[in-house]
Amino acid sequence: MNLSNAGYRNSKSILFQSVIVFFAFLITIPLIIVLLYIIEKGVLQVNWHFLTNVPKPVGEKGGGIVNALVGSAIMVGVASVMALPIGILAGIYLSENSKSKLAYYSGLCVDILQGVPSIVIGIVIYYWVVLTIGYSGLAGSVALGIMMLPIVIRSTEQTLRLLPPSLKEAALSLGVPYHRVILKVIVPCGFAGILSGIMLSIARIIGETAPLLFTALGNSFLSTNLLKPMESLPHVIYYYATSPYDDWHDLAWGASFILLMFVLLLNIITKVITRKWKIQL
Amino acid sequence: MENTIVKAENYNAWFGDNHVVKDVNISINRNEVIAVMGPSGCGKTTFLRGINRMHELIPGATAKGKILLDSQNVLDMNVIYVRAKIGMVFQRPNPFPNLSIYENVVAGYLLNGIKVSKADKDVIVEKSLTSSALWNEVKDSLHKKGTFLSGGQQQRLCIARAIAMEPELILFDEPTSALDPISTSSVEALFHELKTKYTLIIVTHNMQQAARVSDRTAFFYMGELVEFDDTKQMFTAPADQRTQNYITGRFS
Amino acid sequence: MTPLELEIEQVKSELVSMWMLVQSQLNKAKEAITLYDKDVAHEVLVKEKRVNSFELKIDRDCENVFALYCPVAVDLRFLLAALKINTNLERIGDIASGIAQYVVDSPANFDMAAMESTGLLRMYDEAINILADTRIAFENEDTVLARSIFKRDDVLDDINDNSPNTVAEVIKKDAGLLPEALYILSIIRKLERVGDQSKNIAEEIIFYVEAKILKHAKSSGKLTEED
Repeated sequence: MNLSNAGYRNSKSILFQSVIVFFAFLITIPLIIVLLYIIEKGVLQVNWHFLTNVPKPVGEKGGGIVNALVGSAIMVGVASVMALPIGILAGIYLSENSKSKLAYYSGLCVDILQGVPSIVIGIVIYYWVVLTIGYSGLAGSVALGIMMLPIVIRSTEQTLRLLPPSLKEAALSLGVPYHRVILKVIVPCGFAGILSGIMLSIARIIGETAPLLFTALGNSFLSTNLLKPMESLPHVIYYYATSPYDDWHDLAWGASFILLMFVLLLNIITKVITRKWKIQL
Repeated sequence: MENTIVKAENYNAWFGDNHVVKDVNISINRNEVIAVMGPSGCGKTTFLRGINRMHELIPGATAKGKILLDSQNVLDMNVIYVRAKIGMVFQRPNPFPNLSIYENVVAGYLLNGIKVSKADKDVIVEKSLTSSALWNEVKDSLHKKGTFLSGGQQQRLCIARAIAMEPELILFDEPTSALDPISTSSVEALFHELKTKYTLIIVTHNMQQAARVSDRTAFFYMGELVEFDDTKQMFTAPADQRTQNYITGRFS
Repeated sequence: MTPLELEIEQVKSELVSMWMLVQSQLNKAKEAITLYDKDVAHEVLVKEKRVNSFELKIDRDCENVFALYCPVAVDLRFLLAALKINTNLERIGDIASGIAQYVVDSPANFDMAAMESTGLLRMYDEAINILADTRIAFENEDTVLARSIFKRDDVLDDINDNSPNTVAEVIKKDAGLLPEALYILSIIRKLERVGDQSKNIAEEIIFYVEAKILKHAKSSGKLTEED
């Protein structure tokens, strides 16, 4: 090998490395800017009063977003109750039967579902649910549940697929029936991965506005009735931020701050879970 | 007492259209160590997995013929029962990573939901770990995860897990191929101990291992059982040219 | 060829070289007694050292192959046979040098008529031929030839068995030949040992080669032979 131009080649390599590092650093900047901006604008709005009161009419001072907090919590909760069992079981099926035709087509459907714009899901739910039972928290939950599904399915599938087949064989060779192998060995071993998938899917849907616009509609009063319109965090931000009143803008910043913190927290928890509960294989 | 524990009669196995085990007839005695060797893809592992019906777990896998375990055909028996009666140890040590050493040993009971009292479990754990020559090394850390053990220890833990179910027969699928030489010799030494209580069938790529540990050796080639004889005979004067070519390393 | 096969080839060719050397030792020793040539006899004595070093070399080579290659089946049998043949050849080498020593020690040449009448020369030729044929059997893995050695050894045994009488007759005819006659008797005794060693070698050849001629398809009758 000719090493006469080793110096030149070496400096090229260093240059390339610096470019990579530079861009890796660059991508953190937008996040930092957004974070700082929202914290700056929103942190002052958040206090006990803000968290425990419904919005006041225009002109009145104060007011809070408790209706949105409660609404989001209820809708995400109901969506999870609907989507998680389906998602996890479907994920188990896909990982266990990766070669079957059904798995191929349902996997394809999951991918397509993941790519469907959230507003389209909102419209579909509007036609299916809202036109029968009216604007309601339930309709919003269904829309969010559908958005959750692909993330839960895929993360469950990926996690379980990473488990070595020898694990399943070990259990089967002890005479353990199939359903017990799945429930007692496979799922517990992949638990951290499944849980982090759930967390990520919640973090994803809690910020969804579009499917809620014409399903849950929004409600300026505190409501826990699933069959009635319900407020949500992203909707409250959208609604108040596009209003012409400064007081409402402040509310929107506060709500943004809360939402951001929540999503951030979920992501951090996910990271901690995967690191802490990671099963050493 | 009938001395034959396992007897295969015209056993055939397929993966789809691929006929991987062809008309195998073999009779294995109690408390024998049988080594099964042959080149890759000769059907030896498939045959082994046929004995406790792990073979049929693979999609498209089928089997025909008879494998008699205590004169009952395992192909007609309840799979769960067959596998509980026949222990199996795999190529890579595979203790359950979510269970402690203690729980791993009694995993066969835990996972099957069989209720066993704490006192009984303690006895099973100590007995099984002693039989697998691991007790002294782990008795103070029974509640640590099994995956913290070394490879050889993990494999002996897997053997303990199999022993805990009180099987009559233990199948080993290349049990030391993922282990270093020291761990390998610790597992090999164990075979001699286990022989007094159990019957062992060991699939191995390592011919010297087959020679060292087994009483009789079966040689598989292209799905056929070519030769099955006393290990000493096999390694000094095999009866078949193919066996000789294989064990002397003159294979195509 | 696998490395093990190369090693085994090597042992085999060393053994053949040693064999040739031992044969030439026997031939030279014969030359020494027939021509009463002390120089040739000395040469045999000197070359005996080479036979010994051959033996050590082959021993060590076999040892190494055992340690490094863990030979089994035909390879194992070959090496075991090689070790024993090695020892047998060394003994024959000793016999050749023993005969040469007699020539060195003997004050007078051996009487040709006496050597003829006792069958010594005939015996000597036969011993040399037997040794050469066992070598050929070894090289060609020829068990038929190896088996013929047992029969041919009987000729040597006969001459040996008769030697008290034949030697006694030589002494009766001419008492002055007494010391020579005793030398002749000793040589006959030694040559008888060459026959025995050759027989041992033939047995080893059969032992190792027969492992290759395998008893086919013992029980099931289904197995087919590939070659």
